[in-house]
Amino acid sequence: MLNYAASRIVQTIIVLLVISFIAFLLVANIGDPLAALLSADATVNERMELIARLGVDQPLGTRFLHFLGNLLQGDFGMSYRTQDPVANLIAERLPATIELAFVSLLITILVGVPAGIYCGVHPNSLFGRFIMLISTAGITLPNFVVGLLLIAVFSVQLGLLPSFGRGTVVDLGFWTTGLLSVSGWRAIILPAATLSTFQVAFIIRMLRTQLMEVGQSEHIRFARARGLSEARIWYVYAIKNTLLPVITMLGLQLGNIIAFSVVTENVFAWPGLGSLFLQSIQAADIPVIAIYLIFVGLVFMIINLIVELLYPLIDARVLRRQS
Amino acid sequence: MTTPLLDVRDLTVTINRDGHLITALDKVSFSVNPGEVLGIVGESGAGKSITGAAIIDLLVPPLKRTGGTITLAGERLDRLSPKAMRSVRGGRIGFIFQDPMTSLNPVISIGRQLCDTIEAHLKIGGEKTKRKALEWIERVGLPNPEVQFRRYPHQLSGGMRQRIVIALALCANPALVIADEPTTALDVSVQAHILQLMRDLHRESRASMMLITHDLGVIAKMADRVAVLYAGRVAEISTVGELFNAPKHPYTRGLIRATPMPSADGEVRLDQIPGAMPGLGAVPPGCAFNPRCFKAEGDCRAAIPPLTTEESAAFSCFHPLERETA
Repeated sequence: MLNYAASRIVQTIIVLLVISFIAFLLVANIGDPLAALLSADATVNERMELIARLGVDQPLGTRFLHFLGNLLQGDFGMSYRTQDPVANLIAERLPATIELAFVSLLITILVGVPAGIYCGVHPNSLFGRFIMLISTAGITLPNFVVGLLLIAVFSVQLGLLPSFGRGTVVDLGFWTTGLLSVSGWRAIILPAATLSTFQVAFIIRMLRTQLMEVGQSEHIRFARARGLSEARIWYVYAIKNTLLPVITMLGLQLGNIIAFSVVTENVFAWPGLGSLFLQSIQAADIPVIAIYLIFVGLVFMIINLIVELLYPLIDARVLRRQS
Repeated sequence: MTTPLLDVRDLTVTINRDGHLITALDKVSFSVNPGEVLGIVGESGAGKSITGAAIIDLLVPPLKRTGGTITLAGERLDRLSPKAMRSVRGGRIGFIFQDPMTSLNPVISIGRQLCDTIEAHLKIGGEKTKRKALEWIERVGLPNPEVQFRRYPHQLSGGMRQRIVIALALCANPALVIADEPTTALDVSVQAHILQLMRDLHRESRASMMLITHDLGVIAKMADRVAVLYAGRVAEISTVGELFNAPKHPYTRGLIRATPMPSADGEVRLDQIPGAMPGLGAVPPGCAFNPRCFKAEGDCRAAIPPLTTEESAAFSCFHPLERETA
């Protein structure tokens, strides 16, 4: 188990280094920081001084190490667009995105997992077929359509929920949260529901297929032949066989939501990372894009690491494949 | 004559294939006496496994039991509610599955699987369950029960897994054990060990056993009586000695002669039965064996021979073989 954990962590670090290097090449090769940071009437001396300060006259390797060193000290560089430290820009937007992602994950788990299990255990029931029909819609409708539909119904027609913004946020010093106020919760429902539509539909279909397949297997038949109760057979013996792919998917989806909820954030004017990313691309704000790239890599790697460290707890066979 | 523990009368199983009913098991009748080992032999597709699964109502759709009675110690199993049937499965009838590689749940520990099965049938709990599970791991001949208890199926070899499958089938002390090809998926050397284990356990528990196999060697070692199935029908039932020495049904003799057995001078002679067993839905009229039978006459093609009982044996043939005088 320790070997397994160590090898996973080492792999994670290596991948992060590679991503950092790509991001560094982006910063080092695209755009001209001197033009962006110097005023038009700067003297040659000012120019030479900036070159020395930024270290752009150093060899590539040295500059990469320097870049890494800065990253580790929390110095993520300056935005070309706003002249603010990138770290501040991201820290400002991060809580909104993370909260949105986790609430939508919560919806996915609370709705998708029970519905998926129901459809897998009773694939031919009327209700099961009804769920499958709905989930087809969830898979095929694009996010922005779902968002607009929800706004049209719940905000415009019924006037129940707000259609934009985060509501009242509470500043905890290191984190601004919308989850401590009623208006914050009201504001997060629609965007989180929009984001989770696809995930819920996906998890339902996946769990159903997996359970139907496991339900046919010899070991489930043998469990029946031993007189175990149907509840134990399905909810313990069969479910445990389907968990690996399900948590893998949930992890990947969580990463996806954190990194790429651009469209949904736009529809609901959600002040998260997605909209920051979009603005930075439009302004060719390379340092922000680079750090965003590393951040996305970090999010995926950490989620993946957690998921992989969960594997052996569910299926001990994972450890054998290692050795 | 003793009352049989299990009595199966006219058991019929059909497959519904696009609205057409195909008979997979045609009025199969036999009985198992207390403490007895009844072998069920036949080629692949003769309906051996279906017979076993039908008794505990574990047929996989589209297979369906459509007729006949099954009586276990005076109780009609075919009329039981699903809930009552569940307590019969594993509790009064243990079922040993064929392939130990697929019949154990890969993500649940051996100990958990044993404890769950024990708790489903015996009114004990906690430490007592665990002690019983450990006891069974030891009884089926695995070393270090405490270690095995925590292990997962993939950490055991095929033979060890089959021992666990046997423990799982027997751990609630069933009165009848149905073993469906218990050694077919194993290496020959392991087969012998598993057979020995089953014999020992049978001797200790005095439970009755239905041993389903295509291997006449296994039958000769294990069974008291044998039922020979052909194309979903009983061809012959008799004691092992009678069956091997004086088979009544031409198919039985063909089956015995098709089994490799070296003669005194070391030569191995094989006589195969011409043709192949008819598939599902392609059973010829009359006796199912008539196209392959050297004794077949007009009446064999006209009517299905009924199961005729004669002393301890029964056979379904119009022209039974005479005892060979060697």
